[in-house]
Amino acid sequence: MSTPVNRRPWAVTSRAYRAQLALVIAVPPLFTLAIMLLTKIDFSVALLGVFAPMQILVTALFGFLKGRRRGLGDALLVFFTIFFSALVLVLLLSVLGSVIAEGAKAFSPHFLYQNNRYVGTTTSLEYGGVGHAIVGTLLIVLLTTIAAVPLGIAMAVYLTQSQSKLRGLVRTMTQSLAGLPSVVSGLFILAVMGFAHMERSGLTGAMALFPLMLPTVARVAEESLRLVPADLRMAALALGAPNYKAFFQVILPAAKSGIVTALLLGLARIVGETAPLILTININNTTNWNPFNGPIAALPTYVYSFLGSTYTNSQNRAWGGALVLLILVGILFASARIVSRKKSLTTKKNKKAENAK
Amino acid sequence: MMNQTAASTLSAENISVWFGERQVLEDVNLVFPANQVTALIGPSGCGKSTFLRTLNRMHELIPGAGLAGSVLLDGKDIYAPTVDAVDVRIKIGMVFQKPNPFPTMSIRDNILSGLKLSGRKIENADELVETSLRRASIWNEVKDRLGDQALSLSGGQQQRLCIARSLAMNPEVLLMDEPCSALDPGSTRRIEETIEELSASMTIVIVTHNMQQAQRVSHQTAFFLAEEGTPGGVVEFGRTEDVFNRPVDLRTNDYVNGHFG
Repeated sequence: MSTPVNRRPWAVTSRAYRAQLALVIAVPPLFTLAIMLLTKIDFSVALLGVFAPMQILVTALFGFLKGRRRGLGDALLVFFTIFFSALVLVLLLSVLGSVIAEGAKAFSPHFLYQNNRYVGTTTSLEYGGVGHAIVGTLLIVLLTTIAAVPLGIAMAVYLTQSQSKLRGLVRTMTQSLAGLPSVVSGLFILAVMGFAHMERSGLTGAMALFPLMLPTVARVAEESLRLVPADLRMAALALGAPNYKAFFQVILPAAKSGIVTALLLGLARIVGETAPLILTININNTTNWNPFNGPIAALPTYVYSFLGSTYTNSQNRAWGGALVLLILVGILFASARIVSRKKSLTTKKNKKAENAK
Repeated sequence: MMNQTAASTLSAENISVWFGERQVLEDVNLVFPANQVTALIGPSGCGKSTFLRTLNRMHELIPGAGLAGSVLLDGKDIYAPTVDAVDVRIKIGMVFQKPNPFPTMSIRDNILSGLKLSGRKIENADELVETSLRRASIWNEVKDRLGDQALSLSGGQQQRLCIARSLAMNPEVLLMDEPCSALDPGSTRRIEETIEELSASMTIVIVTHNMQQAQRVSHQTAFFLAEEGTPGGVVEFGRTEDVFNRPVDLRTNDYVNGHFG
């Protein structure tokens, strides 16, 4: 008997098919490029006026030749999927690219720890930085997190574990809170400040961010708690566990990675908020380590206040601040990814253990 | 061996059950004598599992649940206002249809979880783990990997781990809700052997759809049936050999011989 060869018979294609595919992929872009070079028309006009219609037609023809109407549908689906994914990717990369390119002019190690004191509109970029704004942002975000995360998780627990009739109402309110424009939240706290005679400080900034973070944390935590099988709770209760022990020792550990994701998404939601902070904290050029007293700086407000300047150096500082903010958000999202990936890693490990038997 | 509490007699008197406005069980009267294995049989949807859940107060966790009648454990009503459901569940253990080990805990921690969750002291943890796993006849398969995640076990092993978890609580009564429905014949046989050994120290009630299993493991059998549009109830209750070989009711005869259900 001959040894079987792993050939993936479903992936075998004819030479003619491969040639057609190459033509479909290569001809429209090259043709568009040629037209652009010859007639000197604008890129976006060429993209939408020449490339897109031609690519759609060619793709449709290719699909039709391969499998009539079914092939036509499949081919068009593939085309639109790739086209729009690429569009989104290009948008994202151009935003990132412009921030990195502009921000790099101001970016340097001292930019991360120096503050804006003694820095004027014409001061060289070798002096000054966003250290005070990083400190301010971290303090404000920390304060907001301390308040919003426990409460958000508590709301998620209420929504998933209780039998209360008020759940529907609470869920609806949470969802409408998630749609609250951030500037409205800032205005509300501004009104409260006038009412309660509070000065602008890190605390008022955190108060304005709180209603934005709470619904995000509550919703994501609710989803992750809902994914824990009801069986587990039943098993714990059948062993004689009181409700709170069943929750803390069985349900919460099972939903741990989802809860951490809720925390990180909540952080990412508020770290870049500008409007509420413009209204509720003051600009401060020095480093203020006390969020309860006096004006404090934050990265979004730093970017906002420098971007309107007519001086090149100030504008560069604004871009630098935006770059630091992007890096901060990137760090948060990367950690969210890593934490949520951990779960699938353990399941993989389990599968391996099962196969090993 | 750890000190074992004596098995108890459990009796259900005039049990009727509702979900919302719909009555699903009517006037069930059954006695489960100490150290006896009782099989509950009957077609799907006749209320066997629901009845089982009333026996350790798991029924009340379902929204809209209602109940009439009483369940006596050694003569004391477990639904009396002074009795805490948690204490009832400690004395009356339960094994579910689907294996449900705690996924975040190791095999060892799963065994000890009942004591931790019910807030009791753990003495001689190693001994308790070994004894419980031995009684569920899974010790030899897992003794070298007690620190592994419980989910790394196969389905049959997980179910025996869940039985061991219940046994670590040293219950007076063990309720089993189709414990073998998701298992292969080998695992099923081992669990049946386990049931036989366990009946020496506890009272067992088992719901099963497998007629041969009911005959193999049980001393007495109750046949449940829900006629169309009416709540379920017990049609026939007696010694297992009588119910299967000399059924009094024609419907029992039809069911145990596979003519319907």
